[in-house]
Parts: sequence; C-alpha cells; structure tokens
Amino acid sequence: MALAHSTRIPVEHRFPLHLQRSITSIRDLYEAGKQQRWNPDTDIAWSRFDPAAYDAAALQAARLTWSRRAWVEYAGLAETPAILIRFCLEAGRESDPKYFLTVRNTEEAWQIESCHRYAGVLGGYVDQPSSAREKALFNQYRHRHALDAEESADAFFVVHSAVEDGLELELCRAHLDNARDPVARQILEKSTRAKERHAAFGWLYATERAARWSAPERAQVSAQVLAYLRDIELAGYHCAWLGDPASAEARAAQATSEAGLGAASQERERDLLCDYVAAVRARLGELGVDLPELSHPALGRL
Amino acid sequence: MSTAVLEPHTILDEPDDMFPLDLDVRIPKIRELFHLATQKQWDPRIDIDWEAFDPAPYTEEQRYAARQYWSRRAWSEYGAISESPALQIRFCHDKCEPDLRLFFTIRSQEESRHAEACFRMAEILGGYIEQPVQNAYQGSVATHGVRKMALDPEISVEAILAALVCGAEEIAFDVFRHLVDITRDPVARQVCASIMRDEVRHCAFGWRYLNHRIPHMNAEQIRVVENAVITMIEKVELNGYHSAWLAPDNPASEAEMAVDRLTWEAGLGSTVEELEKPIFVKTVQRVREQMRDWGVNLPTFSHPKIGEF
Repeated sequence: MALAHSTRIPVEHRFPLHLQRSITSIRDLYEAGKQQRWNPDTDIAWSRFDPAAYDAAALQAARLTWSRRAWVEYAGLAETPAILIRFCLEAGRESDPKYFLTVRNTEEAWQIESCHRYAGVLGGYVDQPSSAREKALFNQYRHRHALDAEESADAFFVVHSAVEDGLELELCRAHLDNARDPVARQILEKSTRAKERHAAFGWLYATERAARWSAPERAQVSAQVLAYLRDIELAGYHCAWLGDPASAEARAAQATSEAGLGAASQERERDLLCDYVAAVRARLGELGVDLPELSHPALGRL
Repeated sequence: MSTAVLEPHTILDEPDDMFPLDLDVRIPKIRELFHLATQKQWDPRIDIDWEAFDPAPYTEEQRYAARQYWSRRAWSEYGAISESPALQIRFCHDKCEPDLRLFFTIRSQEESRHAEACFRMAEILGGYIEQPVQNAYQGSVATHGVRKMALDPEISVEAILAALVCGAEEIAFDVFRHLVDITRDPVARQVCASIMRDEVRHCAFGWRYLNHRIPHMNAEQIRVVENAVITMIEKVELNGYHSAWLAPDNPASEAEMAVDRLTWEAGLGSTVEELEKPIFVKTVQRVREQMRDWGVNLPTFSHPKIGEF
C-alpha cells in the first residue's frame, strides 16, 4: 500500500565537488569526534553493574526507561543518513557538515547499543511502547521529511540537529547529575560528550545558514520548530510524563530517577524544559527567527 | 539548491512502523564486524605521516597526474557518502537485522575517512581538483546507482548487497591490495593500506549477510540477486566506474588512462591496464565461483579490452 503523498527526491549535481575545509568550527568538531571515539563493548565497565543493589521494581522501571532511550536514539539511524543524503543532493553544501554527520551517526549507533545492552542487564530490553499513543509519537518518518524536495532541509536541520539535539544534551546532563549507578554514569558520560558535539554542530551550522535565509524561509523554520516542540516534545517524546503522567513509561522514568539508575525527576525536567525553551527562543531570535508562545498544562506558558 | 526532482515510487512512499524494534544480535558475524570496526578506527589527519611526503623525486607532470588520480579517488569515495547511506534507510524500512543497521553507520564514517585521506593526498601533490577535466568522464565516475536501488522497493536488499558489495566492492578491494603492493611512495602506500584495511570489513559484510540470507531465499529471489550482480558488472564496472581503461573509448577516458599511467610510473598510487586486467578477470572468476554456492550463476562477460572471461 502506498501513501497518498509521494516523496519527490532532489536530483544530485555532484560536480564541482567541494571537499575543502570551509566551516572551520564544524571541521574541528569532526576532527574532535574522530579523536574522542569510544567503544561500548570495552569502554563501559559492564561487570560493575550489581543488580543486587536494587529492588525488583527499580530494575523493572529502569529497563523500560533505558529501552525507551534506545528507541529515541534509534531515530538517528534513519534520520542522519537521510539528512546527509539531502545535503549531498543540494549543490553547494559544504563538506564539513557531511563529514560530521557520518561521525554523528556512528555515535548514535554506539548509544543505541549501549542503551539496549544496559536495558538487557537491568532485566531485558523492551521492544515497543505500552500504548498506541506512544507508538504514534515515535513513528515520525523523519527520513521522508529530510529527503522531500518540497520541504526545507534547513528547517528540518534546525529542528532536529539544533533544537532537539540541544534538548537531548540538557536532558543527558540532568540524567547524569542524578545517576549513582556506575554503569549508568559511564554511559551517560560518553553520551554527554557526544551530544555536546552534536548540539554544537547543530547551532553552528544553523547560524552559518541563517545568514542566507529569506523572510519566508525564516517563517518556515519558526513554524517547524513550533510544531516540533508542540506536537512532539510537549506530547512526551523525550519526557513521557508530559504526554501522560500515568503511563508506564512516565512512572518508570520517575522510579529510575529515584533509584539513581540514570533519569531525572519530573520536577528537574520541568525546570529544564522551561529554561531550554526560553534559551531556544533567544537563540533563534539571534538568527532572525521568532518562536511563538507555547503552553502545556504542566508547564504553563512557555 | 537543486530544483530538479525524481518521482519514482520509492520505499519513502510506503507506510512503516518502527515497532517492535528489535536490537538484539541476529547475525553475530556482522555484529562482530561492527565491533571490530569500532576498535580499528583511524584518523587520516593523524595516522598518516603526511610530513614524510617528499615532492622532490617527482616531476611536475607526475605530480599533476597524481593530483588528478587522487582527486578522482576522492570523488569515488564521496559516492559512498552520498549514495550508500540510502541503504541504511532501507535496512530500517525493511526491518533488516539490527546488525546491518549498526554496522552501516560506521561504514559510512569510514567512507568519509577515505574521501578525506584521498583529498589530503591530492592536496599535498599540488591541490585537489573539483571535477573531471573532461565532462564526458563524469558519466563513468558520478554514480554506481546504489541510492536509486536502495530506495526502490522492487529491488531486494540481498540483490543490492550482492551487486554492490560482493561484486563491485570485491573488485575494488583486489585492486586496492594490488596498489599496496606496487605503490612506492611511502605516504601514498600508507593511504592505500589504511583504506584497504577498512575495505576488508566492507567486503566481509556483504558475504556474511548473503551467506546468512541465501538459505532462506527461493529460486526466484536468488535469480533477482543474480541479475543485479550481472548488471553491476556489465553496466557499472565494465563501463569504467573504478577503472578508466574499462570506460568506453573517448578522449576523456584516454586522458584518464594517461593520468593513471603517469601516476603508476611515479609509484604514486595508480595502476595500469596491463597489470589490472588479470586482477580484474581473476576477481570476477573468484566471485563467480563463490556465488555458485548460492545458486547464482554469472555468465561469461565480454569487454573489448579483455575479450570473453
């Protein structure tokens, strides 16, 4: 069965092929990514995990939390190659972001493997959400949007590589701050370092591109960031309690936080989200993009 | 920005659901490759001794030829950045074994490293060149068509990987091994050897996947694999995608062959028709033998410069 909408993919004009360093800051991130590589198999001390230190309920909660984290990370497995291809299809795109995206995708794979493996040692990876609502939230078909010539690659990039990756970084830091289990901490430390580069990359390239945006293009970026925050984030994509505080995933995250197994409390995430949306609004403002007001029953006006 | 668009029916037009999301090890030999690649990462900026390059032994003509040769290699490696990631999208869409999806992320990163290393080699030789000197050659080097195949729901993953990896990449690998043997310049040889070490895994990936899949496929599905490999060899490899001397006779391919010869004479990294031809033939014969075990029967191929083989 085919979808009603047919995705029209741009045609590549490969030559002249620019491979020179042209955005030094992003090339430096690419170089740093290559140097700061790590190996989930050997750089995480898996044997240090002691299940006896936790009660069954905490372990059960944490396996769901870390499984869900694997699902979130998994989005990158199709999204990153799609935006990489899109950049290659568009004439004149610099080589630096393309190179960086290949490193980012490997780091996403390491994070997926780490989250999956940790869920395994906690009691077993869970391969799907508990509700149809949650499932729908994850099935975003990002690769289609990234490759669709009718959609702006820059707007897609700002949403997912700047705004979303920046939020992931802040959440990862909060989870690390609150983690006591040594294995959870190690995974979160490695992830935080990678996400620092990912978020920096997103905002650096967004800034680079913003200089050439027309007024309609800025409006498009604004509309897509707004839609993403309203329909995805505030619906509970990263913080399940925003979508349904009573859901299994939301309760699991709270219990994981209390056990020190690598999550943050709802209160901490609420403060973080409010601050982050304000920071995004300010940052987009510097790029000439206005972010309209948002609201959520648990967060108030943002 | 490009304005032209393609509108064939692709996997992007089909509904999919990421759940249930299997992340377990399903093909241990491919997961092993993912871990091995993670361990064996290298950095072209640091791990190649660029300072060791001495331009003095080479004439200006040789350096210019080698610049062109290494630029062309960079274009070819770039093709894997621009096209092959579509396979990863396909693996996710088809819910292929998770091992493929994870391995391919690092494979794409390795292609970046290769493009970067070839670019740097062209730079120290005098400067990277952004496009073929003669436009006619673009058709041979621009694409092997993998992006299109990867997004086409009518072509199976098995057919794509058999054609791209067990066919095309196997040929490229054997030529690379030969380049390591004959390249005298220490920096160029280091680049070839570093790339070759990654290519070992790239080829192993394809064979391991097909060895895993073939026992579950019926005769019709295997026939699709066979046709894809034949097309890749006839339409892409024998059209000069990797080797200029196989491209149709025209001033552009002759110019590229002259570049290859000068670069080879200088020991700066290329090879020439008379050395590569037996390697090419032997590789195709070996691939034919190995694929026979799958029930894939490759026919006799023919090329004006090789004859029947």
